[in-house]
Amino acid sequence: MKSTMPILTLEKVSKRFGGLHVVDDLSFCVPRAACTALIGPNGAGKTTVFNLVTGVYAIDAGRVLLDGKDMSTMASRQRIYHGIARNFQNIRLMPHRSALENVLVGQHCRNSGLRGVLQPVNLIPRNRWREEARAALADSGLAQYERAAVGGLPYGLQKRVELVRALLAKPRLLLLDEPAAGLNPRETDELQERLSVLRRERGISMLIVEHDMNFVGALCAHVIVLNFGRRIAEGTPDQIRDDPLVREAYLGVDAKPRPLERHAS
Amino acid sequence: MLIYFQQIVNGLMLGSIYAMVAVALTLGMGVLRFLNFSIPGLFMIGGMLTWALVRDAVPWPLAAGAALLMGALASLGVELFTWRWMRKADEFVPLVSSMAFLILFENLAVAYWGSDLQSLPQLFAGTDWHVASLVVSVPQVVGLVLSIALIAGLSLILRKTRLGRALRTIAEDADTALLLGVHIHRIVPAVFLISGLFAALSGVLFAVNYRQVHPFMGEALGLKGISAMVVGGMGNIWGAIAGGLIIGCAEVISIDLFGADFVDISVYGLLLLILMVRPTGLFGAPAGARA
Amino acid sequence: MSGYVEGILVLLAINVVFAYGAFLPIAAGQLNLGIAGFAAIGGYVSALLSNNAVVPAPVAIPVGGLAAAMVALAVAAPVLRTRGIYLALATFALGEIVRAAILNIEMVGGAAGYPVAAFIRFPTIAAFAAGVALVVWLLFATRFGIAITAVHDDERVADLMGLNVRAFQIAAFALGAGFAGIGGGLYAHHFSYVEAQYFGITLSISIVLYVLFGGTRSVLGPLLGATIFTLLPELLRGSAQWRYVLFAGIVIVVMVLRPQGLVTGMQMPRLFRDDGARLRTGQAQ
Repeated sequence: MKSTMPILTLEKVSKRFGGLHVVDDLSFCVPRAACTALIGPNGAGKTTVFNLVTGVYAIDAGRVLLDGKDMSTMASRQRIYHGIARNFQNIRLMPHRSALENVLVGQHCRNSGLRGVLQPVNLIPRNRWREEARAALADSGLAQYERAAVGGLPYGLQKRVELVRALLAKPRLLLLDEPAAGLNPRETDELQERLSVLRRERGISMLIVEHDMNFVGALCAHVIVLNFGRRIAEGTPDQIRDDPLVREAYLGVDAKPRPLERHAS
Repeated sequence: MLIYFQQIVNGLMLGSIYAMVAVALTLGMGVLRFLNFSIPGLFMIGGMLTWALVRDAVPWPLAAGAALLMGALASLGVELFTWRWMRKADEFVPLVSSMAFLILFENLAVAYWGSDLQSLPQLFAGTDWHVASLVVSVPQVVGLVLSIALIAGLSLILRKTRLGRALRTIAEDADTALLLGVHIHRIVPAVFLISGLFAALSGVLFAVNYRQVHPFMGEALGLKGISAMVVGGMGNIWGAIAGGLIIGCAEVISIDLFGADFVDISVYGLLLLILMVRPTGLFGAPAGARA
Repeated sequence: MSGYVEGILVLLAINVVFAYGAFLPIAAGQLNLGIAGFAAIGGYVSALLSNNAVVPAPVAIPVGGLAAAMVALAVAAPVLRTRGIYLALATFALGEIVRAAILNIEMVGGAAGYPVAAFIRFPTIAAFAAGVALVVWLLFATRFGIAITAVHDDERVADLMGLNVRAFQIAAFALGAGFAGIGGGLYAHHFSYVEAQYFGITLSISIVLYVLFGGTRSVLGPLLGATIFTLLPELLRGSAQWRYVLFAGIVIVVMVLRPQGLVTGMQMPRLFRDDGARLRTGQAQ
């Protein structure tokens, strides 16, 4: 049983743009069925790591392993079929289509091929894929926005739609790029709760890029800190908070060290 | 052997006209990232107005001048509807509007003058040079020299004047240009004006040299100007010239070798090939220099 | 019905078929400026078949469409590697090449055009148009429609979601070419004549214009665009030229005022009531 193998492993991964090493000899593991945070000042290379893991960029050196399987050269399109789904830092939905139609895209990797493509999801009300998507929206409190054009929805709701889309792919590993950015405190709490539940009940592993250290502390057991494309620290949220290297990296930029609160649920 | 030289001379003449159209298109592409489909229409306006005025006994220099003026005005009209009044929309919208302008101009011409081929009288009778058994007509040479001079002049403007620097800045990055205080709203009409003049002038030159015009002449020739622009490299003025001359020579040689029937296939086949193999053209920046 | 009205309706039906032919690639994010060339292929192939009594006209026409689709498939892979304006130009070059090639084929009359013996009337043409429209509407009610929009809106995300972007683009391109081919066949068998000159860049541009003007975010858009374009002469009893002038003028104005086109509502008109949604009150669309 591979239950202790990390869901994601980066081995000495490097990525250069021109002369700049955006990711430099980076190695870390993401434990399975857990929530891991990837933090670091702006420009540390966090989104680039996501792009490397999802295949948007090709790696210059090193390997990326999903559940022990080397996917370093796998086409970006294939990766979702192996269980990696993600959201995007700036929301990327189809603005003129409804929430339902948007999240239906998430099912594509489970319903592809000729039969999948011709699935009458928008024609027959009782179609099971449609029903599944509707239920997923309802689970996230988005049922009333099913038919609303997504471009007209408030930012926080759009973020929720994007999350539902990613979840409908039934991923093993969820990559979340600043999922709490732009959310008010109530929405942030709801998101944190939701993600905890997903992790517990469905065993989804998560790798989250975030700046909100309270959010991270409440949700993630493990934190990896990046700066200039390298890993400078790793540990529990408390350990990271006390790490002088981390403070130095953040000096004058983002989160000042302060007690991390556990949220009363 | 001599035939070949003659063909090349003819090809250069034709090519210089294509080159002017290509330059007109390249300005829009390079500075505004805009493929201006109305340019073949402006070419036609230049040519047909020259014919119409000459037919009414207007002396040809005046006719040419009036045709240029109309071309410039029409181009400024296009600017209004494809740029000035355009709200934030998909980037293909100016292209679509410019296509509509082409249809507009062509059908206005048909409505006024009918769709027949029209001929101009011989304006420069007996002025052919005979240089070592090559026949070179003076108006063609003048046309060639004029084209090159104007294009060289334009290149100078782009390099040495403030307007030129502003244009190049906008071509680099429109937002930065705004930040740097470039008055985009005053510059953009200049782009349309210059490209409109080039297009109309090449139409005038065509009318005077080849003496045949019709409302859809823009399609046959203006569209080859698009090919010339692509072959030479979009956004590169000297590339546009090279492209124009290449297309002109290719056309002439193709007629000679394969007959007139295959001209279009050769020219558009070349265009297609370039687009698939090296879309940035022979002299454009390699793809990836701009995302 | 009077001959005059029938003539208008025939034109409308054919334009609707052309419209859906241009709509499909546009919905996937590509401009096919060579669409008239594919119409020409369909027209000539179907005429060739029916003239030589290989099959009757109503069978020849879809076969012509198939021929157009096959040509599109053959060229789609290399051509669709280009992007944006380069793609538009490549398709334009393609259309011109097709037209020029046909002009050189003596077997189908070359520049003189090719007479067509079989004749079809409005009911047949209307049936084809309705069929094409129905196929498109049904397609867009499936995952295909959503995938096409996903590819159109954001190729990168579509790819990461597991969609084969290239395959969808090629499918849309080839299918659209096929419909254009059917339109060409309908034209050939009603006007009893096909000539390559007609299927040029002006036709392509006109078709693209009335599709964009009608709106490409909805399957109803092409229908509306084709309808308005066809019925314009009724407003202006003058010659065909003025109708094009008016049409071009309208497009120019619409592009300034409403660049997304006229029809932008949800792609699929709601055919069935969705019980769940109905119970929610007070939620405006």
